[in-house]
Amino acid sequence: MTYIVTFHWGWMLGALLLGLAMGWVAVVQRGEGLSVAAFRRLAALVAVALVAALARLVPGQFGYWLDLAMMLLIVYLAGCSAGSALRGALIARHHANKAV
Amino acid sequence: MWTFEPGLMRKWWPGLVPLAVIWVAAAWTQGGAVERDLRERTAATLKEAVLDKTRIEVAGRDLTLAAEAFSEEGRRSAVAMAGLVPGVRLVTDRTRLVPRAEPFTWSAQREVARLILRGSVPLPATRSRLAEAARGVAGGVEIADEMAFGRGAPPRFDAAAVLLIEQLGRLKEGQVQLAGTQVSLAGMARELGGREAIAAALGGLPEGFTVAENAVRAPPYIFQANKDPVAATLTLSGVVPDNASHAALIAAARRKFFNEKIVDNLKASIGAPANFAAAAAAALGELSRLSTGSLVMSDRTVKLSGDALYPVAAEQIRGGLGPQLPQGWQAGADISVKPPAGNVDPAICQQLFGELLGKGRILFESGRAAIERDSVGLLDNLVEVALRCPQATLVIAGHTDADGDDQANMALSERRAKAVADYLAKAGIAADHLKPVGYGRSRPVASNDSEDGKALNRRIEFTVE
Repeated sequence: MTYIVTFHWGWMLGALLLGLAMGWVAVVQRGEGLSVAAFRRLAALVAVALVAALARLVPGQFGYWLDLAMMLLIVYLAGCSAGSALRGALIARHHANKAV
Repeated sequence: MWTFEPGLMRKWWPGLVPLAVIWVAAAWTQGGAVERDLRERTAATLKEAVLDKTRIEVAGRDLTLAAEAFSEEGRRSAVAMAGLVPGVRLVTDRTRLVPRAEPFTWSAQREVARLILRGSVPLPATRSRLAEAARGVAGGVEIADEMAFGRGAPPRFDAAAVLLIEQLGRLKEGQVQLAGTQVSLAGMARELGGREAIAAALGGLPEGFTVAENAVRAPPYIFQANKDPVAATLTLSGVVPDNASHAALIAAARRKFFNEKIVDNLKASIGAPANFAAAAAAALGELSRLSTGSLVMSDRTVKLSGDALYPVAAEQIRGGLGPQLPQGWQAGADISVKPPAGNVDPAICQQLFGELLGKGRILFESGRAAIERDSVGLLDNLVEVALRCPQATLVIAGHTDADGDDQANMALSERRAKAVADYLAKAGIAADHLKPVGYGRSRPVASNDSEDGKALNRRIEFTVE
């Protein structure tokens, strides 16, 4: 995993920034987003892919692509979490100030 | 305070689309570099492993390692080493052991412009060691390494093979071979004595190795002598076994060639055939009987050619050389007869006898009347002179020194004179023209008080009547 990070840090930084931006936007976005059913299916798909990557089930080039996809996704999700948390915290403080 | 709502995660999905773009772009641009990097680093790591025919294929981060290892342990450790290269995910093991060579044969061959190494070699280190040894003896010629790796080399193979390559250095052309622990050699030695040097060096073969065949030949061992009556020289060239036999041969030549200056161009070298000294002495004895002639001894073949001084001598030489040679030697005599010189009157004959006997002495075996073989050259010259005055009567007088009993001396001198007369008679001088007489000690020409004087008194004189 460290090898993937050291070799693709630029791209992973891109995924992180994308995640931050998405997370930042998601807090104030109207609408429901993905339906619960679709979200579950997607989560299941990711889980299967993750297991396949960790168990090194997919050989050769596809295995490398899968590993890379999982790493980018993890970084993206981490970025999203951080973005949403930052935006959420900022809004919460704003409301608190208004209340005073 | 902000709290995380799980529903929020459902709003993150639109980012997945650009993320997929990032993913494809990353895999597209970096995939080849990853494979290259892993291949290079694996190759660098496996440099420490002893492998042959190593082939590393990379797909993504997975390796396929194909190689031939020299031991099961080495094979396993190579696969493990490849698996530990950072970044490598899976290793497909396509390694195997180097095939076993049965029988294990190895050879090195020297040609005019090439030195070829062939057969099986157990390890890369051995291979480079043998190539290094070959470079050491090649003398600048090209080295062709056609060896293949094989397991099953006998113990101490390296040492044996290096020793054999060193022997190849002593060959002009030829081959050294190992079949298991059996050593065989063939070819032509570069120098005289090379065969013996190789045979001696083979004694240093490591334990367990045996010489099955040593068919190394040596260049011919050549000894030559040329008798030139015009310059009055005997030129000796070629080789003799050692300094002692060199000195002995020169001494023998001095005794046999009473009239010639000896030009000594001999060199010492090992590699002489057995009984060389005896054969050389016998052949030189026959050469001394020729007026002009040459002697070539090549290994065990003796070739004598030239002109004998008179017809009987020619026959004697033709038939006499072979039996004098040691067993296993071959003789070839191409002898013609020197055209006879014109007859002269007795006074000239007397003068010629005097000249000959002034230069050389007829030698007898100690206390006996048998003529030494060393004196045949002188006797033939005396015969030649005698043949030029057929009408004259030759008085052959034997003399002794003052040592010993008078009567015995008298009898010995007579017998010696008779022995000389017999030699002349056999050579074709009419017996009734020969008068052998013995004077014992009665007519000394020098004082009998010194050894030198005694030696001068022991003599044969020719007087023409």
